[in-house]
Amino acid sequence: MPITCFLRRFRAASALAVLALPLFGPASANAAGTLAGTDISNTAVVTFDVAGTTLTRDSNTVTLTVAETLDVAVVVQSTQQSVDSGAVGQELLFTVTNTGNGSESFLLNFDNDFVADPGVDFNPVGQTPAIYFDTDGSGDFSAGDVAYNAGVNDPVLAADASVGILIVNDIPAGLVNGNIGRSALLATANTGSGAGGTAFAGQGTGGVDAVVGASGGTQTATGEYIVSEVTLNANKSASIADPFGGSQPVPGATITYTIAIDVASAGTAVGAVVRDAIPANTTYVANSLSLNGAALSDAADGDAGELDTATVPTVVVRLGDVTQASGTQTIQFDVVIL
Amino acid sequence: MKTLTKTLTVAAFGLLATASYADDDGRLEIRTVVQKEAKIEADDGTSRVELVAADAVVPGEEVIYTVTYTNVSAEPTDNIVISNPIPAQLTYVHGSAFGPGTTISFSVDGGQTYGSPETLVVVENGLERAATSADFTNIRWEVANVLTAGQRGFARFRARLN
Repeated sequence: MPITCFLRRFRAASALAVLALPLFGPASANAAGTLAGTDISNTAVVTFDVAGTTLTRDSNTVTLTVAETLDVAVVVQSTQQSVDSGAVGQELLFTVTNTGNGSESFLLNFDNDFVADPGVDFNPVGQTPAIYFDTDGSGDFSAGDVAYNAGVNDPVLAADASVGILIVNDIPAGLVNGNIGRSALLATANTGSGAGGTAFAGQGTGGVDAVVGASGGTQTATGEYIVSEVTLNANKSASIADPFGGSQPVPGATITYTIAIDVASAGTAVGAVVRDAIPANTTYVANSLSLNGAALSDAADGDAGELDTATVPTVVVRLGDVTQASGTQTIQFDVVIL
Repeated sequence: MKTLTKTLTVAAFGLLATASYADDDGRLEIRTVVQKEAKIEADDGTSRVELVAADAVVPGEEVIYTVTYTNVSAEPTDNIVISNPIPAQLTYVHGSAFGPGTTISFSVDGGQTYGSPETLVVVENGLERAATSADFTNIRWEVANVLTAGQRGFARFRARLN
């Protein structure tokens, strides 16, 4: 048989393969892999010569059915949450993702008992109920979020689909700054969980077999609270300059407001924002806003402040993270009496 | 006149071949099975790997396709070529194609052309690159020798479920 000759022909033909590839590229697959229930058939073809004639025959067709993998990923989305001692309704955001390849429902549980762990000072107290769907997608616990009820509204997720879940906790009173508490979300595939490879015959999507994947069909993620109670002092003062060189609050007089803000305790005021509405019967003097002596433009742009005219004209200044070491933050702006 | 004779001869051979093919239900019997490896744990703590039916296959798992061909006629069969598409949801496992007494070649274009792995190229984002085993779409085994009556051979490859 002229094998050498065949090979030479194949080599020459490989340039053709280049053009044809996009038609025959591998089927696109999602992250979770081929969907459960997919039938994959295979038939081999044999050609052979009989008395100078080439015949072709197909083999039998073998079909394998893709089983369902039971896999889940739970990820905490909230960074360490700063809370006050005794605060109520403090939420942590998690996502639960079906990393298996078939539709699956998941049982959710929470666990707040980590006080025995090193570095953990208190157990948060879960509200009743404590687990909510982040129904409005805000990432915050808000009025539209639906409470989770185990066995009643277990989230059903298609392969690769995710759902945002909130755990809503109360923080015990009597804690001090720096105290740490933890809260964990546990999601478990309802079809089954256990050691990877454990099979549940016929219990997968559409009656295929279900097999526990690498996650064991269950996963936990843990979020953290840190007590950082901060006392912020704000002192607002006004000085008046009337059009006649005096300091009388008459129409046309300019009032300069000074707001002095300082942190009077340990801890960090995270993302502190000052909002101060322009008083009635006055108008804001354009471009008069400043922070620590540096002018801030009135527009909502890259700098730390602006005049918010959406409803009542309001001065907005973002101080960022402020501690005692930051010193006094001084905001000034002018209004004119109408 | 000479040409006509030749044509007639070929036609006669064709008829003959078809007839004998039908008579003994094919000179070559070809069967394919799909299996996977299972680790069987024995009571004494040892384990062995066995091939079992690929009933429940999950993404990431490997399956093994085995094509068996048997000459079920009384005559020798020549130029046997087995070809097998790699199902789209599976990725060929590098270096796994096997077949005693065969020359193995691969296709990256759905079986239109075949070549040895190092000769195959694909175009990705307008750039030509060497094909990898993930690009293979079909495998072909050319049996080097004549298969005598009753003789059998097999061709095999592994693929991973995407």
